[in-house]
Amino acid sequence: MSSFTKSAQQWATFARSWYLIDARMQPPGKIATMCAVRLQGKHKPIYHALSDVGDHVVVMNTRHIAFSGNKWEQKVYSSHTQFPGGFKQVTATQLHLKDPKAIVKLAVYGMLPRNLSRRTMMQRLHLFPEDDLPEDILMNLTEELPQPREIPRRLNEYSQEEREAFPTLWTPPEDYRMK
Amino acid sequence: MTSRGTPSRFLQSVLQNGVGRYVCQLKRISLIFSKNGQSSLGAREFIEEGVVDFAIKNPGTVVYVSPQSCRIPKIVAEYLNGNVKEEAITSKTSQQIAELITKLTNQSGLDIIRIRKPIHTDSPSIQGQWHPFTNRPPSIGPIGPQKQQANERLCETS
Repeated sequence: MSSFTKSAQQWATFARSWYLIDARMQPPGKIATMCAVRLQGKHKPIYHALSDVGDHVVVMNTRHIAFSGNKWEQKVYSSHTQFPGGFKQVTATQLHLKDPKAIVKLAVYGMLPRNLSRRTMMQRLHLFPEDDLPEDILMNLTEELPQPREIPRRLNEYSQEEREAFPTLWTPPEDYRMK
Repeated sequence: MTSRGTPSRFLQSVLQNGVGRYVCQLKRISLIFSKNGQSSLGAREFIEEGVVDFAIKNPGTVVYVSPQSCRIPKIVAEYLNGNVKEEAITSKTSQQIAELITKLTNQSGLDIIRIRKPIHTDSPSIQGQWHPFTNRPPSIGPIGPQKQQANERLCETS
C-alpha cells in the first residue's frame, strides 16, 4: 500500500463499504445498534462527525424480526398528524403488518445522532422485508455481519443422535402416564 | 489580511537538503553600494573587513560587489530555487550587515509566508494507512442471501 499515489491512498482510506445484515429471528434493537454504528462510521479509526465517513447498510428479512418478551403487544408507536384529534397510537404488531420495514427504520432513526447528518445516514440504510435483493445492491456488498442473537433450534431441528446424546435426569418407565 | 487571504505553504525543505549532504541554498549575493554616500558607510566598512572572509567561508556562493551611484545601498540574494530577495542596508553598521548576510545564507529560498503546519513527514504511516480491508477477515463464499440455507430451513419445517 505504500507504493500508492496520494490520491489512490486517499480514495482507498475513505471508500464507502456496503454491509449486509440478516434480521431473521433477531431483535430489532440489536440490529439497529449495529446499523447505527456503521452508518455513522464509528467503526472506522478515521471517524469524525463532520467528515461523512459512514457506510451503507443493507438489512434483509425485516419482516422476520423477533421482539423479546411481550413487545409485539405492549410496545406502542405514537405519531401525530398535527391536526386536532390526530394522535395515533399503534402497537408493534399493527405497525409491522402495515409496513414490515417500519420497526427497524424507526429503531435506527432513534439511535442516530440528532443532527442534520441523520437524514443522510438514513438514506444510506437500505431495508428489505424479504431476502430478494436487487441486482445492483447485491453487486455492491462487501461484508456480511454476523447476527447478534444466536437463533435457538426447534426440537425437530435437532438430529436423533443429538437428542439421544443430551443428558437426561431420569427415564420414565414404559407405563408412566404424563399429565 | 486574514491568513486565508494571504498565501501560505506547507513546511518543506528543498529536495530533502540536509538528509545527505547540506547544500547552501544561496546562489549569488550582490552588494550594491555607492562609493561616496553616507548611507553606504556601513556597506563600505563591511567590504573592507568582512566580505572576503564571508566569501572564503561559503565557497558555494558567488559574491558580487558592485559600486554604483545609488541612493539606497542594498543586498540582492538569489537562491537556487530562483527566488530573489532584496534587502536595503541604508545606514546599517558593518556588524548589522554581517548578521544580515549570515541570516540570508542560512535561509533556503522558500517564500516567507504563513506555514500551515509546523510539521512535515515523507513517511506519514509506518504500518500502512488504514483502509476498509485492513483487519477484515476474508469473506467465505459470495455475500448475499444463500439459497441453500433457505431451502434447508424449509425442508426442516416440513
